[in-house]
Amino acid sequence: MKLTSLEQLQKIKEKGLQQTYPGKIKIMVGMATCGISAGADKVYKALEDKIAALKMDAVLEMTGCIGFCQQEPLVDVVYPKKVRVSYATMTPAKAEALVEALNAGEFFGENVLCRIDQEEFLVEGTKKTYANPHPPELPGDVPKYEELPFFKKQVKIALRNCGYIHPERIEEYIGRGGYTALHQVLTGMQPEEVIAQVKDSGLRGRGGAGFPTGVKWEFCRKAAGDLKYIICNADEGDPGAFMDRGILEGDPHAVIEGMAIGAYAIGASQGYVYCRAEYPLAIHRLQIAIKQAEDLGLLGDNIFGTPFSFKLKIRKGAGAFVCGEETSLIASIEGKVGEPRPRPPFPAQSGLWGRPTIINNVKTWSHIAPIMARGAEWYAGFGSETSKGTTVFALVGKVNNTGLVEIPLGITLREMIYEIGGGIAGGRAFKAVQTGGPSGGCIPEEFLDTPMDYESLGALGSIMGSGGMIVMDERDCMVDVAKYFIDFTKDESCGKCTPCREGTLRLMEMLEEVTAGRGQEGDIEKLEKLSRVIKKMSLCGLGQTAPNPVLSTIKYFRDEYEAHIWAKKCPAHVCKELITYRVVPDNCIGCQLCRLKCPVEAITGAKKVVHEILQEKCIKCGTCYEKCKFDAIVVE
Amino acid sequence: MDKDKCTGCGVCAEACPIRYEVQLPPEEEAKARSAYAQATDEAVVAEIIDLYRDEPGNLLPILLDINSHFRWLPRPALEHLSQELQTPLSEILRVASFYNAFSLVPRGQHIINVCLGTGCFVKGSPRILAELERKLGVKHGETTEDMLFTLEVVRCIGCCALAPAMRVGDDTFGRLTPGQVGKIIDSYTKTANL
Ligand SMILES: Cc1cc2nc3c(=O)[nH]c(=O)nc-3n(C[C@H](O)[C@H](O)[C@H](O)COP(=O)(O)O)c2cc1C
Ligand code: FES
Repeated sequence: MKLTSLEQLQKIKEKGLQQTYPGKIKIMVGMATCGISAGADKVYKALEDKIAALKMDAVLEMTGCIGFCQQEPLVDVVYPKKVRVSYATMTPAKAEALVEALNAGEFFGENVLCRIDQEEFLVEGTKKTYANPHPPELPGDVPKYEELPFFKKQVKIALRNCGYIHPERIEEYIGRGGYTALHQVLTGMQPEEVIAQVKDSGLRGRGGAGFPTGVKWEFCRKAAGDLKYIICNADEGDPGAFMDRGILEGDPHAVIEGMAIGAYAIGASQGYVYCRAEYPLAIHRLQIAIKQAEDLGLLGDNIFGTPFSFKLKIRKGAGAFVCGEETSLIASIEGKVGEPRPRPPFPAQSGLWGRPTIINNVKTWSHIAPIMARGAEWYAGFGSETSKGTTVFALVGKVNNTGLVEIPLGITLREMIYEIGGGIAGGRAFKAVQTGGPSGGCIPEEFLDTPMDYESLGALGSIMGSGGMIVMDERDCMVDVAKYFIDFTKDESCGKCTPCREGTLRLMEMLEEVTAGRGQEGDIEKLEKLSRVIKKMSLCGLGQTAPNPVLSTIKYFRDEYEAHIWAKKCPAHVCKELITYRVVPDNCIGCQLCRLKCPVEAITGAKKVVHEILQEKCIKCGTCYEKCKFDAIVVE
Repeated sequence: MDKDKCTGCGVCAEACPIRYEVQLPPEEEAKARSAYAQATDEAVVAEIIDLYRDEPGNLLPILLDINSHFRWLPRPALEHLSQELQTPLSEILRVASFYNAFSLVPRGQHIINVCLGTGCFVKGSPRILAELERKLGVKHGETTEDMLFTLEVVRCIGCCALAPAMRVGDDTFGRLTPGQVGKIIDSYTKTANL
């Protein structure tokens, strides 16, 4: 059926709500890639089998990732006429116990993470409150969702439906107010009004550079030509970032609706989603979503019976970081080698097949529908002076709570790492936080009170980037980290321009010398000089930003470089050439654990005899150091 | 070419990207192609090409599909493609060698992708890689002699919150320790021997 009116959309909405809130026991398993890799598929299977075995009247569904990846596999249970409860780090055995408890009409009290009293229908601006948030059988100390430090400061706009709906059912998206913004735009707004609203909202691109989205759209709208294209950049090349994957796997229609609105605004009728091939599940769910939207006439010809037509196709990437850059991405869709070209002309003037083209990031697109539905003023009410709204970060590395975090722009790095992230794992000391991926920089402790917005992070020599945020502790060597990023950009440099191709290679060689203890006086200055040359002379954003990790680590952690060069020491004990593992005879009780675990048989010693590490065999993997329970192995 | 206007200056011949390509009439070209390893392969490739035939910019999607069917890009398939798309083989090879996803040499039955993205890197994925290299007796980028495993490195599979992560075929594993790796590999060796 092709929808042509709001009433018809309303009917689907009712069906969707019925599916999301079936009025009986409903068990939901977070089945995004993160959940599955933590074992959610096995938990799901266990739940399914047990429900079948007990012939229980319950609904079992999968859902996207609610963001708290650290606690995966996550299972949510809606106790009918009561409340929704989240369970963390579930196992198949626990899942069976859960079903048994539910079947007996009891409350399952293990692995409880929090209770969810109400759910926000963001697009509509309403809340659905569960009937009885405090049933007597629920222990009093179960925290509310919004009381958990991880969720407390979050405002979910892009992630509004992730973890709440079945990502493969368009009805459930519509149930929570989906596609009403598209209807509203198509039936009641001029394209110029749409653009004005996006401009007023202050939304800036979430893919890296932070260019004002409405301004870009206006360029494209005004560009000559009746054939225009619209592209969603889902290449997410920044290693250590998975925000776009989270959205595509948990709420693909949010992106589709945003793109349809954007297409109407600029006058495009064909769109592409360029998604990296490393995300098979995201591509799969997006394919399903596009098909469902086509079946309902929300993509295709004459959407909602209006003259507006819009078709959407998926293009898979093939594993090249530079293809995230917009001109390379366009070349790649055209079937060519993904090499960038100089701008101007900007894609908004001449892009795909020479036509005006708008490229925006997944997160940017998923903000569009709420902005249309709730208004520019509402959106601009979040965030800071120059950076409006919210953005999604992937908080990973050495923090206690890892996952996807959506926050209003402008909260400080400290709040992010110590409140939301719960501090550094294992009680170790914080060293640096890396934002912006290979184009970004490392920010040290003294700047943790900096607000996270485009300008403030830029002033520190890093960038906001697409939202990767990697926390490092005292055990990370900053020279090694710089080397890691240069190794990455060296591999991913497309080779078209010399400063980037050769420059990153030379930087890599110099950093290798330094980490191998062969650094010399003047190396730091050489690194800085070459970095500046690469930044100035490169053709595209990859080269122009590639030296940032080197420059920022030299700026803030110069002492570490100096330790490598002068003292031939790696203060964090990472660089293999500069460390040795040794047994402390006084502490060694001869338990044999390290000897058995050593992968290369470099440890000798009989039972209850002090062991010894054969330095010529040792590959410095650190296994013995980690395994030893008696602090009898030291690294120096 | 418009014969009336041609001055015979030769600029076009020099600029022609396929001037060094041997040009054969279509019937002979099909015969001149390297032979497929199996007779059915040709039909598979033909089907993939047909799927995208009329789409602009179809080279990448076709290569991706061929690559995922064979787990690499066999030369006969590329020659076949060159002929069907009227695109010089040199250009196809240029695209195929640019992108990391493609392999121009045969790969093993199970492709292991160890993540060396930043999230996994700081959580010790180099040690996971080292363990796999030891266990399989190959370096990354190589295939075991029995053609069972190919060990590759990727930069992020989106599982960063559960780092370190790896993927074997379609299965993703998170929160790995070097100790677990051996068991995971063994589970694939066993199913392969059944
Ligand atoms: C080397 C390089 C890699 C990039 N990778 C991505 C990426 O993976 N995802 C993305 O959305 N933008 C990426 N960008 C930014 C895009 O070029 C472009 O600015 C962005 O997609 C525009 O969307 P936005 O305005 O919504 O941010 C990259 C840029 C450069 C220079
Ligand atoms: S960094 Fe390894 S999965 Fe992202």
